[in-house]
Amino acid sequence: MLDQKTLAYINMFAILGTLENLCELVPEAGPLLTNKKPIALAFDVKGGPSATITFENGKCRLEPGVQACNIKIPVGSCEKFNGVVDGTVTPLPVKGFRYIKFLTKDFDALTKLMEKYLRPSEEDLADLAFFERSTTLMLYVISVAIAQIGDYDEIGRFSADHVPDGDVCFSIKDGPAATIHCKNHILSTEKRRPQNPRAIMEFESIELARALFDGKVNALACIGNGSITMRGMINMIDNLNRILDRVALYLA
Amino acid sequence: MEVYKHDKSREWFDRACKVIPSGVYGHLGPAEGNFIPVSKWPLLGDRAEGTYFWDVDGNRYIDYMCAYGPNVLGYNDPDVDAAAIAQAKIGNCVTSPSYKMVELAELMVDTVKSADWAFFAKNGNDVTTAAIMTARAHTHKKKIIFVNGFYHGVAPWTQKIDYPGVIPEDVSNNLYVDWNDIPALETLLAENEGEIAAFISTPYMHGNYLDNQLPAPGYWQKVRELCTKHGIVLIVDDVRTGFRLATEGSDAFYGFEADLICFCKAIANGWNVSCLCGKEFIKGAVSSLSYTGSYWMSAVPFAAGIANINKMRQLGLPAILKEKAVKLLDGLTKTATENGFRLLISGEPALFYLRIANDDSLFLHQEWIAECVQRGVFFAGHHNHFLNYAVSDEDISFTHEVADEAFKVVRKNHPELF
Repeated sequence: MLDQKTLAYINMFAILGTLENLCELVPEAGPLLTNKKPIALAFDVKGGPSATITFENGKCRLEPGVQACNIKIPVGSCEKFNGVVDGTVTPLPVKGFRYIKFLTKDFDALTKLMEKYLRPSEEDLADLAFFERSTTLMLYVISVAIAQIGDYDEIGRFSADHVPDGDVCFSIKDGPAATIHCKNHILSTEKRRPQNPRAIMEFESIELARALFDGKVNALACIGNGSITMRGMINMIDNLNRILDRVALYLA
Repeated sequence: MEVYKHDKSREWFDRACKVIPSGVYGHLGPAEGNFIPVSKWPLLGDRAEGTYFWDVDGNRYIDYMCAYGPNVLGYNDPDVDAAAIAQAKIGNCVTSPSYKMVELAELMVDTVKSADWAFFAKNGNDVTTAAIMTARAHTHKKKIIFVNGFYHGVAPWTQKIDYPGVIPEDVSNNLYVDWNDIPALETLLAENEGEIAAFISTPYMHGNYLDNQLPAPGYWQKVRELCTKHGIVLIVDDVRTGFRLATEGSDAFYGFEADLICFCKAIANGWNVSCLCGKEFIKGAVSSLSYTGSYWMSAVPFAAGIANINKMRQLGLPAILKEKAVKLLDGLTKTATENGFRLLISGEPALFYLRIANDDSLFLHQEWIAECVQRGVFFAGHHNHFLNYAVSDEDISFTHEVADEAFKVVRKNHPELF
């Protein structure tokens, strides 16, 4: 069963948070961001997450909490926020009406672009550059979603309670990496390779990572054939994998 | 020293993956077995003898995992196998169970100090499940106390809420307490007064990825006292440790009596039988269970078990295993120190757990383990080991040589650390 609060945290930090990387990696995002004045948009979800997304100099940055912003959108519940993200609820700002055009045009275009990369068509995936960008973005979404599920989902919490302190490297060989950090069983994610990981789980290629994300190959068989390597504190990876199993449920 | 290759293992594994989920599933497979890196490990075996097994590439290994426990006298022990083969010629899985079952039950009751009866099945999981059902049947209560880091099998009740295929209701009556933590146990008992059927634990904490922990002085005696006071059935899971610490049962070894005690691995030296033993007061409850299996009363494993237990008793096996283990572990410690490694050894010697503690990640440990495996010493990086009677002084010396070379390889690979 999906927990709406956990889903809201995933939508905020894993989905919207990956706008940071979308703006960095995807050329089509450029025209939506260049030659624009800096603008900050804050979502404040009652009983759930809050974050401020700032667009400046062609880059995007998401910070937790409501910071100085041009547009503020309070959302009455986690369910409604999840509706905002899946497009079934229209957000209503309480501040920044004069920036509404950004919300309805540029921000909307960026989120549509994000959807194109996170729910790609087979046709788009045939383009190698698109394939790589899409898979990289998926890696970030999944890595951040793991932390949200470990922190908020009831069963995910149980898994996180069994993860010892330290950093786990979740990576694609010669490609992108993320750090899942655990401190006192609270998880957080950084979209970079850790300096001193206690455990590493690495996919041998971006193609394999994609196939795994799409559920087309068996992870245990991949460990057996060496295309997924794991080392270090395997109990950290083991418990994160149990959370990873729930990521698919939330992102379906 | 020769460094093994595993080309045929790989070929067989690829074939396996086509027809068997994940190729080799479970604890003997590369994922659960922590074959890190997988290229350095044998994936499929060919034969075994004494303390050795050979993989499909013809590489020989001194086996310190002993099939994760069953091999206690040595693979193909002549006395045990002769008894099994003789029985196979006259009957195995038959409508009328063989009198061998009665003989083995009598032997178990005579051998295991806390046993008044014996109930047979096949795997450890069968008898831990029987123990839980028996405790619930006897007490008419539903909750079970587990010790964190536990492993009692693979049935849903033994798993955790986040495991694939397990639903919250499977584990909703499971309570958890830390090992050696009597105050926490007392709190748990007070919070769940009148609802607890059983306390289940291994004789000491031999969980994976953790230094194994022995019972603190007086721990088991206090647990026994609390279980008696609160009307809770005390279950000892001796599946892993049984017969290696004491033939009388590991509860006797630590100076207390379980109400129910579960055996499997070392009963019959690899012939498949498990056994739940218990006290007289709970015999009626186990009798009431609707719980049986097609092969549970097969005679061949009973005959093997009788020969095996008699031989273990005649040999005074636990003391011999301890002596061999101490010799092995002293040498490993010395070799590690000489090479600049801090090798921590924990648990009981016959089931030793190893960990290199120079780093906090197990990276060095896993590298060292893999180098040992690749040179013919089969250690595990995540699990306690098992010693068997067939391991010789020469095998132990060879193990020390392999360990030494493996330490040197790891040291050479990490000039930044040494």
